[in-house]
Amino acid sequence: MNAPGAEQAAPLLLATGVSKMFDRTRALNAAGFELRAGEVHGLLGANGAGKSTLSKVISGHVVPDSGEVLYRGLPLRFRSTRDALAVGIAIVMQETSLVPDLTVLENIFLPLLGKPGRLSFPALRRRGGELLASLGHEGIVPLEAEVRGLSAAQKQLVEIAKALGLGAKLIIFDEPTASLSPSEVERLFDIMGRLREDGCGLVFVSHRLEEVFAVTDRVTILREGRTVLASRETASLSQAELIRHMVGQELGAIYAGGLGGTERREGRVALEVEALEAPPLVRNVSFSVRRGEILGLGGLVGAGRSEAVEAVFGLRPRRGGRIRIDGRDIDIRKPGDSIRAGIGFVAEDRRSQNIVPDMSVKENLLLAHLGAHRGFGRGYAAREAAVERLLQKLGLPADRLLDANMLNFSGGMQQKIIIARWLLLEPKILILDEPTKGVDIGTRSSIYGMLREVAEKGVAVVIVSSDFEELLGVSDRVVVISDGLSVADLPSALLDEEKLTLLAAPRTSMAKNTELLRDLADQSGGAGFWALIEKDRLICLNAFVATGAADPGFATGDAKPISDTRIPGALARRESIFVSEPDGKRATVLVPLRSPRGHDMGWVGLTLPDGAALPSAEAIKDRVQALSGAL
Amino acid sequence: MTNSSAMPARSTLGSLSKSLEIRMLLLAAVIAVALSLLSPYFLTRSNIFNILDQSVVIGIVAVGMTFVILTGGIDLSVGSVAGLTGILLGLALQHVALPVAIGLAIVAGAGIGLLSGILVAYFGLAAFVVTLGVMAIGRSLAYIFSGQTAISNFPSDMSSIVYTSVFGVPSNVLFLVVLYLVAWAYLSFTKGGRTIYAVGSNKEAARAAGLNVLFYAVLPYVVSGALAAVAITFSISQLLSIDPLAGQGMELDAIAAVVIGGASLFGGRGSMIGTLIGVLIMVMIRNGLNLMGVSPFWQGSAIGTIIIVALLVERLVSARVGR
Repeated sequence: MNAPGAEQAAPLLLATGVSKMFDRTRALNAAGFELRAGEVHGLLGANGAGKSTLSKVISGHVVPDSGEVLYRGLPLRFRSTRDALAVGIAIVMQETSLVPDLTVLENIFLPLLGKPGRLSFPALRRRGGELLASLGHEGIVPLEAEVRGLSAAQKQLVEIAKALGLGAKLIIFDEPTASLSPSEVERLFDIMGRLREDGCGLVFVSHRLEEVFAVTDRVTILREGRTVLASRETASLSQAELIRHMVGQELGAIYAGGLGGTERREGRVALEVEALEAPPLVRNVSFSVRRGEILGLGGLVGAGRSEAVEAVFGLRPRRGGRIRIDGRDIDIRKPGDSIRAGIGFVAEDRRSQNIVPDMSVKENLLLAHLGAHRGFGRGYAAREAAVERLLQKLGLPADRLLDANMLNFSGGMQQKIIIARWLLLEPKILILDEPTKGVDIGTRSSIYGMLREVAEKGVAVVIVSSDFEELLGVSDRVVVISDGLSVADLPSALLDEEKLTLLAAPRTSMAKNTELLRDLADQSGGAGFWALIEKDRLICLNAFVATGAADPGFATGDAKPISDTRIPGALARRESIFVSEPDGKRATVLVPLRSPRGHDMGWVGLTLPDGAALPSAEAIKDRVQALSGAL
Repeated sequence: MTNSSAMPARSTLGSLSKSLEIRMLLLAAVIAVALSLLSPYFLTRSNIFNILDQSVVIGIVAVGMTFVILTGGIDLSVGSVAGLTGILLGLALQHVALPVAIGLAIVAGAGIGLLSGILVAYFGLAAFVVTLGVMAIGRSLAYIFSGQTAISNFPSDMSSIVYTSVFGVPSNVLFLVVLYLVAWAYLSFTKGGRTIYAVGSNKEAARAAGLNVLFYAVLPYVVSGALAAVAITFSISQLLSIDPLAGQGMELDAIAAVVIGGASLFGGRGSMIGTLIGVLIMVMIRNGLNLMGVSPFWQGSAIGTIIIVALLVERLVSARVGR
């Protein structure tokens, strides 16, 4: 309604001096926040800093005790979230507010169902189609589908469409990427970009700093309910500065001692999983982990990582595969079996799989003990000393913790207690699924330190994580799972996030690549391969050998020093011309592969045996570049 | 350690006012005082023993109901299981000795509970529906087995189960006290008891921690069925008669007592102490209304109103105190 010039001058939303107490906890202490139309504004802070409360004040879910919120220059006083929706403010939360039994269409227009009068469904269907189209997802999410069957990303899309259906001009995204895969995150950022172009003001609440840098224009940081950094240009900040403002102190390396990446060959193999099969998601997964080692299981959401570790632990039926602990075969049918064999397991979802809300912190701490305990009594007394010691070591205040409700503590503290639950049993093997999901960065680093310390005592640690940076930072070795198959097993020192992303890509997205390699190999009677080359090591992502004589000496998933291959000369020179090996048996051409965004995606190579007719290196280069355009 | 001397005073007081059992005990006291003002007979020694005596049958059933509700389930079949096992007890007595007949009735009750428990916990059927079905079947079998008539050929020495006095306390009241002590100790201090709480509060977490979820989700129904048979045994011992309608409405009294005692119907929250207080509140009100000569037809309205008001007040108070 305002002239564009006025929009620029007056912020879309201006909150000043907002305070809110919950019981005795001060959630917000005179916090301030400013949002302009046409920007994505990051709202950051450690857990408990007040981000969620401030978001909920803006969206009308929470009424502040004091302070002023101006929206388009007018004071906001909501009696309900309906009031907020009416003026055009919507919130997209982690747990969506959709009704699972209704269709996509009904959910998008749910707020209209509460109004008196008749609704024209054909008109709604048209409008719903338009909304999804404006988000670039027409036809991808069927309007008639029940929301229950949608993926997390699709549900979020419906939620956004719902906000737009109400004409929302201010949308708060509260941790929207927590359960999305990297490609889904990318798509979400696209949508956020469109909304920004359309003049919406977007608030982006997230723990993931790299996403903050990727998508926000300005950031505001809260700490202990106060605004400690107000509306700074994101580009003017470094990651270290952000972290410092969030935790209020200089953090050293987040990842304990920077020990990740050390290959450990000395420890005994503690857990060996071979050809694990647990339909429908886990098709063939193998990995092993040594005592004292931290193994990361990487992959995209839905690749079958969580399902694989749940099957190992006995939470999920297993159809095939062998599990060996300390070299002995073990038949695990239920969690009790694996616990007695020395496995501890921190499940992925803290609230639904780990916390028993009606029990005290102390009993939650003792829950796995109760599971492992044989006998009629509870056997708590025997663990008293160990509980005490553990609490002290974790820096948990014993007197406050023992009788309190778990849910009153921050996500990080809850996670520490759940991990401690398993440490109490002194496991040989500790498996953690997304150990830092929803945990603020300060607590995260202390969890990493804790895991490293556990490993150093000789425990074999397995971590499943969707956060590739975390996975590489904390683990010694990474096994990549894609489409239910373990596709690579590499020291993390050899990897970075880009390479991990390539390895984790669904095998189906490799179809074009495989086709190219096969064509190259077939047409010229040699071997085609796609590999990452780092200094003097090579990781083969895909290989197709048509002629045995051309075999370059590595296969898909292999990682080895260049000198151990049969084409060391060509791999060392890395040139887009045919390079013959000193022994004269093979000639190889290498072409760099770059994504449309310019990321290094390794090299495509063609190796031909001695005496074969050499095709034009330029022609091969053209074909590889044509492929990279399609990636 | 150093501040441990300062902390407890505040936290004890805090937890006292926060404890639902304490608040319900206060409510029970208020009701007792009110009724004693309304009726001079209410607080006499003989009437107090009356109240305790009337608490026995419903109190026994409420123990099993507490176990079931703690797991997040419900057992609507206790009334008809009591009726059916009572009839079976009467029939068995024509062939076997009293202790054996009682044993058979209890085993039958436990067996029916086992069936419900397996349907609920293993096959994942809704407890409400399963026990509703068992309730109908049980009542129907009670009619069929009894030939639609009351059985009253019980030996008169059976009443010694109820009326033997131990140190001045009737044996049935003593049994109730011991039962509550055992149930309380089981729920508080054993692996099984804690598992029942954990299963009711978060079944997935209990499973992931290696607890035997299936067994301890079935067990409460077995306990409930067995205790329904025990309860009807005490009832028969007093009346020396059983008819196929016996136990009707018992499930509602038991559920009401458990809920008044602070248990959550979603499971995970509740206690034997709370249930005992709930039973006493129910029985006191009924007893007081009888003393005042209120028509039995009005008593249902009075009890229903008091239950709802009590829960409403509790909800308002606990919202203020904070959980």
